[in-house]
Amino acid sequence: MPAHRPAFPPSSPCRRPAPRGRWRAAIGAALLGLAAAAPAAAQAPLPTIALDARLRDDAGIRLGDTIAIAATPDGPARRMVVAAFARRTADPSEVARAEYKVRLHLADLQALLAYGDRVDRFAVVTRDSGATDRVVAGINARAFGFRAHRSRDIAVETGRTFAVINRFHRAIGVITILASAIFLLCIMLLRVEERRREVATLRLIGLSRRTVVRAIVVEATAIAVLGAALGTGLGWAVSQVVNRYYQGLYRTPLVFSLVTGEVVALAVALSAGLGVGAGWLAARRVVGRPPLALLGR
Amino acid sequence: MTPPGTLMLEAVEIHRDYAMAGDAVHALRGLSLAVHEGDYVAIVGPSGCGKSTLLSLLGALDRPTRGAVRHRGRDVARLDDRAATDFRLRSVGFVFQRFHLLPMLTAAENVALPMAEAGVPPRERRARAAELLAYVGLGARTAHRPTQLSGGEQQRVAIARALANRPALVLADEPTGELDARTGTEIIQLFDRLNRDGTTLVVVTHDEELARAARRVVHMKDGAIVRDERLRD
Repeated sequence: MPAHRPAFPPSSPCRRPAPRGRWRAAIGAALLGLAAAAPAAAQAPLPTIALDARLRDDAGIRLGDTIAIAATPDGPARRMVVAAFARRTADPSEVARAEYKVRLHLADLQALLAYGDRVDRFAVVTRDSGATDRVVAGINARAFGFRAHRSRDIAVETGRTFAVINRFHRAIGVITILASAIFLLCIMLLRVEERRREVATLRLIGLSRRTVVRAIVVEATAIAVLGAALGTGLGWAVSQVVNRYYQGLYRTPLVFSLVTGEVVALAVALSAGLGVGAGWLAARRVVGRPPLALLGR
Repeated sequence: MTPPGTLMLEAVEIHRDYAMAGDAVHALRGLSLAVHEGDYVAIVGPSGCGKSTLLSLLGALDRPTRGAVRHRGRDVARLDDRAATDFRLRSVGFVFQRFHLLPMLTAAENVALPMAEAGVPPRERRARAAELLAYVGLGARTAHRPTQLSGGEQQRVAIARALANRPALVLADEPTGELDARTGTEIIQLFDRLNRDGTTLVVVTHDEELARAARRVVHMKDGAIVRDERLRD
């Protein structure tokens, strides 16, 4: 065991200087027993612990408080001083998990769990990807009973579920666009049909079919682009509301809804395309009839 | 300029048949009519006698089943859609019973619309629209939309629009049909002035006062001309 431990890792945003030596992060221990206790005794420094920031909010714990922690509800408890609070990372796989996480120094965790010199997982940070590959190869050549993986590979593996959800969302999007296109076409046909007298007037006074079609298509496109702009604004506002609500509900910095430039460009392009298409079809339908027929004669 | 009295428009033995519920309806039965430059012709007759059908054929809005319609020697009944549209744009002005103004445009914009299609530059068409609206007595109402105008004023805007591309011929279908007597008289006076200024007019009407204002009255019945009388030269 190392004799000197540093403060909590930089990923803990609410850290403060630790009273003892070298730290090694140990993540994933379950907090099974917790009780607020009296201030720590001055003569014997207690070990420190980092708590989940949600636990701070739920239990009203403050930095410097002393808590009792045990591996099992009826197991022997150890007193520790709260030295930091850790916020959740923006990890989709953790959003719905209700348990609290705590971070202990490895020695304290081993003592609490009576595991001896044993860890379930450890992480190695390298400066570049080449070094990562070398470290992974080195560990796997020497280790027995476990294997090292690059975090990127683990992310890909755990992201498969989200890829399925993503495809599902895309399918909903495609169906929505298809339904919208049919709806837009019907609206355009109805709108142009309602204005057949105006179209008839234009044709009677000598405006060509091309001019009439162009006017209708320009109008339809303008309406579609304006609708896309309004829809983008509305989508952004709704996205903000959704993010605020779910970030508060799950107490996570995860962004649930994202309106990107790519999404906006796609929406505007699709709307304009649909507007042009629907306008053109509606216009061709109406100018194909004789002007007198449009007037009902 | 074409000298007064020259033949401008001619319908030669025109027939127009419609198929309705399996039966053929003969709207026009071998009708012939000649209209000269500067003339003012009123076509009268009972409803369904074929007056409006004749006007549609004279204005290339429709095609006869048989016969020819010649405008200055050109058979407009045989024009394709593009050429017929261009003929309506540049050679004829139309005035309709229900005005048919575009509600979203101002009076000046309605008048300028055919000029825009004809490629008249914007400045010129604005000036001409203002001039035409002043001619019909609406110089102060150029920026008003049709809904802000009375029926008589709307019809005057429609007349100004009909004159936009300086056509020598104006065809009017019941131009006073939607107007009260006083407003109708104003429109009749405007037509009279138009004709005195050189425009050839062919007017379909039930209005006796309007018919009396014309130089010539053509009486129709059952798709044929039954009487053609010249009231004055």
